[in-house]
Amino acid sequence: MNAPPIPPEKLPEIRSEIDRSCSMPCLAWFASSMFWLIVGTIFAIIASIKMHNPEFLGDTAWLTFGRVRPAHLNVVAFGWGVPVAFGVLLWLQCRLCRVKMVWPGVILAAVVIWNIGITVGTIAILAGKSLGIEWLEFPTYAAFLLFLSFALVAVWSMMTFAQRRQDHVYVSQWYIFAGLFWFPWLYVTVQVLLILLPVKGVTQAAITWWFGHNALGLWFTPCALAAGYYFIPKVIGRPIYSYYLSLLGFWTLAIFYNWAGIHHLIAGPMPAWLVTTSIVGSMMMIIPVAAVAINHHMTMRGNFKLLKYSPTLRFVVFGAMAYTLTSLQGSLMSLRAYNEPTHFTHHTIGHAHLGLYAFFTMTMFGAMYYIVPRLTGREWASSRLIRIHWWGSAGGIIFMFLVLTIGGFIQGFEMNQASESFESAIDKHGFFGGLKQWFAGFQDRNGAVPFMEIVKGTIPYLIARSVSGVMILVGHLAFLALMVMNIHAWGRKRFGPTLFQRGDKTYTRLMTDELEEAKEA
Amino acid sequence: MTTYYVLVFTVLTFFFGSVIYALHWSVRTGQFSRFQEGAESIFDDEEPIGRLNDCFPDLEPPELPLRKRA
Repeated sequence: MNAPPIPPEKLPEIRSEIDRSCSMPCLAWFASSMFWLIVGTIFAIIASIKMHNPEFLGDTAWLTFGRVRPAHLNVVAFGWGVPVAFGVLLWLQCRLCRVKMVWPGVILAAVVIWNIGITVGTIAILAGKSLGIEWLEFPTYAAFLLFLSFALVAVWSMMTFAQRRQDHVYVSQWYIFAGLFWFPWLYVTVQVLLILLPVKGVTQAAITWWFGHNALGLWFTPCALAAGYYFIPKVIGRPIYSYYLSLLGFWTLAIFYNWAGIHHLIAGPMPAWLVTTSIVGSMMMIIPVAAVAINHHMTMRGNFKLLKYSPTLRFVVFGAMAYTLTSLQGSLMSLRAYNEPTHFTHHTIGHAHLGLYAFFTMTMFGAMYYIVPRLTGREWASSRLIRIHWWGSAGGIIFMFLVLTIGGFIQGFEMNQASESFESAIDKHGFFGGLKQWFAGFQDRNGAVPFMEIVKGTIPYLIARSVSGVMILVGHLAFLALMVMNIHAWGRKRFGPTLFQRGDKTYTRLMTDELEEAKEA
Repeated sequence: MTTYYVLVFTVLTFFFGSVIYALHWSVRTGQFSRFQEGAESIFDDEEPIGRLNDCFPDLEPPELPLRKRA
């Protein structure tokens, strides 16, 4: 710690100055991430419709499934996920270090470089220049730009930390550093081992999935947990239930998570010990997940009614619950017995969206609901739009998870165990009778149900998935409208004590402006 | 093949080294003690413990705590 600590009476004033210093760089990250979120959602809906109506936009080479689907993944992961996390992390880092943003120009340069990288990469994927490695479809030149931008943010974060005026390192900061260090490690390793000096054979698959899985666990997870550990206690005005448990959760995540990844290749041509080690790592993840779940639940205990009042809390708590669910489901999915029927089915897609959307994205939305008004000095213009966003996103993702999970189970059991299709069992015996009959017919008769019949059976679930995508898009458009209104000050000015506490510099400044305007009138 | 081993082990050494350093640093600077102080470090007089710090624009925030703890 270089600078002397701030006296407590000066904290609110300094806090407002910190918020103002973060305004431009953080809003730049948020604005660009919102743009890519909408683009990514549209790609998702196009890809989803193609799953049940293959001829949809089938004549346009740029919009065929093989291009739109990776474009969706890369745009939402790297166009939305990383930039929005940057915006949240930068703001948290400044607040927790209690220093104003240093070198905002560096961050703005990083925003520009990052967005050039995403634009170039997305166009390359749509033009058919994808590298064909899942999670790494962007060509090398786009990946280089992303790495450069990431490095700028990571170095900036260290510089800010070096100037901190707060002795204690809050648990969120541990997660921020972890994410900022681990992701470049992952990214450089896979770029070298898969693209620059490609390894041979099945090792490629092992490295691909080590990266694919750890990008979720060592970047998106730390970012969202950093936000969760700050916003839940902050909003409800109660410190974390067990700070000890939060640190235990962090260090066990650091130790166990990077063992996982190879369990994506269960039953593949991999050495059994490698897959088993990964399964053990995945099961060990129950420890950090339980630590986070217990901590968040006990912090919220007795305060669940507050979800009615605070949009931030609503989104972040939803994200925290989804974290527990998706992580426990992930551990289960790594077990061979569970993996056998669910692998290569829509069940896996449901799990992926539960992690990246219900957990990560919802937490980021919650963080933005808290941060943006403090950056612009204005409250959100419309509670109705916030509620539309909430119901669209939460309703959409719950619906998507349910249909893909159920549809995926049916698909998987039909491919592996069932002696007749689920649909024909229901037709013959009614719903409950058919269900009973279908389970009773499980005899490990792989191939008993014709493959095309299984494919046709998934169509209703895929249509439902497209509907859920539209619900989510409606939510995103509502949030986009809120963001545009807030940044451009189109909404009504609001000064109530709901977001800006009395004495807050921003609040006071706005109130003074308002009083002067009233006097002049 | 040697290139891979050198590369992978250099990277591993660097990152595991940084983790060990971070652990050592945090013990030395007392990050694993004074837990209560750490948990309360995000609050101050203007965003204090015991008050809801975020609310829908059209709602009045309720008084906290909602329920007295036993």
